[in-house]
Amino acid sequence: MRGYLFVFAQSHSEFRIPEIQSIAELYGFSLQLPELESVGPFVVIGLEKEDHARLLAKRCILLKSVYEFWGQGSTYEELHNSTRAHKSLWDPYQQDTSFRFFVTAYNHTIPQSRQRQIMEDFSYMAYLGKIELKQPELVMGCFEEYDDTRGLAKNRVKDGNFRQVYFGRLIEEGSARALIGHFDVKKRAYYGNTSMDAEMSLLMANQTKAAPGSLIYDPFMGTGSMAYPTAHFGALVIGSDIDGRQMRGKEKPAGVFRAATQYGLASRILGLFTFDMTRNPWRCGDLFDAIVTDPPYGVRAGAKRLGRKTEPSEKHKEVYRERLASGRTDQPYIPPTKPYELSDLARDLVLLSRYLLKPGGRLVFFLPTVTDEYEDVDIQSMLCEGMEVIANSLQDFGSWGRRLVTIKKTATTSFPPPVFNTNDDTSWLGPSGHVPAHKDFREKYFQGFRKENS
Amino acid sequence: MVRLITHNLLACHAKGCNANNFPLQFKDVEIEIREAEFNPDFLRGFLPKIEWKALVDSARQIGDTSLPAEQPEMVDDDFLKSLHHVLLELHIEEGSMTCPNCSHVYPISNGIPNMLLAEHEIA
Repeated sequence: MRGYLFVFAQSHSEFRIPEIQSIAELYGFSLQLPELESVGPFVVIGLEKEDHARLLAKRCILLKSVYEFWGQGSTYEELHNSTRAHKSLWDPYQQDTSFRFFVTAYNHTIPQSRQRQIMEDFSYMAYLGKIELKQPELVMGCFEEYDDTRGLAKNRVKDGNFRQVYFGRLIEEGSARALIGHFDVKKRAYYGNTSMDAEMSLLMANQTKAAPGSLIYDPFMGTGSMAYPTAHFGALVIGSDIDGRQMRGKEKPAGVFRAATQYGLASRILGLFTFDMTRNPWRCGDLFDAIVTDPPYGVRAGAKRLGRKTEPSEKHKEVYRERLASGRTDQPYIPPTKPYELSDLARDLVLLSRYLLKPGGRLVFFLPTVTDEYEDVDIQSMLCEGMEVIANSLQDFGSWGRRLVTIKKTATTSFPPPVFNTNDDTSWLGPSGHVPAHKDFREKYFQGFRKENS
Repeated sequence: MVRLITHNLLACHAKGCNANNFPLQFKDVEIEIREAEFNPDFLRGFLPKIEWKALVDSARQIGDTSLPAEQPEMVDDDFLKSLHHVLLELHIEEGSMTCPNCSHVYPISNGIPNMLLAEHEIA
């Protein structure tokens, strides 16, 4: 494998490695990741072919560009030694290749005079080709990476006091980041106050490995935020929601269809259905390549399931029986719903996914967590046999956060349709009795995540 | 909208309705034909999931007779094209679907079927 210098966007750093792993798996090639996870934007990753770098740059949302790795060091001396050792990579361009060379820094601006000096110090490469700024055949980049000093106004970075410097040949500028603007929620024909932002929904779509011909399901469809990017990547999408108003909106045609039409994706939205995930009409399992969803967790909209919080009054029962007996269908009937506690929902979602996913299929969803209380076992406690966590990336909001969890159906056998726990008993806790920190997340959120004993 | 591809995957799920609950019968339907992208690989992969008789009967119910009564053993391009049309291009916008067993009516409005169950229908 050969090293490639990946330049990542400085957002959602926990999401970038799972993203490139998902896309590598989608295209069926392998990656060699560094042992230590980097916090900065520059990561050297091993790939078998240059084309693999191009595929990643065209699809990964967090990837800004990919360079062929020519050198690295904590000083320029180290960088030049490392570059000399990679001579066979840059030698072919010596004679007659037009080129552009730029020097830049992350968390710092290098003065022009030193930029020129840095370029001159590469004179041992002895390039004879024309310098061409507009359409060069070869682009080389030299990147200094400085520590983040935000909030430390007095200790301004000293020029040249970088953590690491990298050098390489541009292979491909990342083109997928432009999709963030394309799917901008504010410019969408239909959205709601719980719509997922474009960047995150694109990252979720990549976790599903959406591609032409894949069949993807969202059981909490809402305003369809994840349907558009997954369909954009070629997938056929089916959505359901217990509340049809979310999918429909107030105008005609239904909101999700209008937004899909705006993006030219209407034909890939296979269908929308109003039903409760735990009372679903699916005829069989092993259907979907992925299930992607953002379950409502109660801050802006709480999850609901069919049923009643409390026993109805005698009067209520009577009215209901009368209605049944009369067989009246002139009024649309709205069945009662009750709150759906988050840790119950998460467990049910995994169980249902094991039934509905094809072997190897993925469940991708957000789970809100309380930062101080979260433990990895919280995620483990929602799993069942044949379902394994393959990625767990935190988007940190301070006292709470949300985790994008990717679970793979590793089981190769089929499972019977799950029977969901409809009572609010706690037998599901199992012998260990672990209570995940996201249990009763809504209550904790509104209490400001105060510790019970404080 | 309901297309026959999803219709073929849905059965009545009311309490106690476990037999003869599929396929749901279309009634008073408004149909639109809209083009969809032809993906032969997807169709080949999906074929094993199809309940053939239910698909053919439902297609006939809404006026499309292009599919043979028996699923052909030879999967050629012509066959895949008719299958594509029936599964993906017929859109039921309004109307209802009725369970052949318990007669539960699932109304379709604005292309979205309401498959919520009433209190007495949940187990």
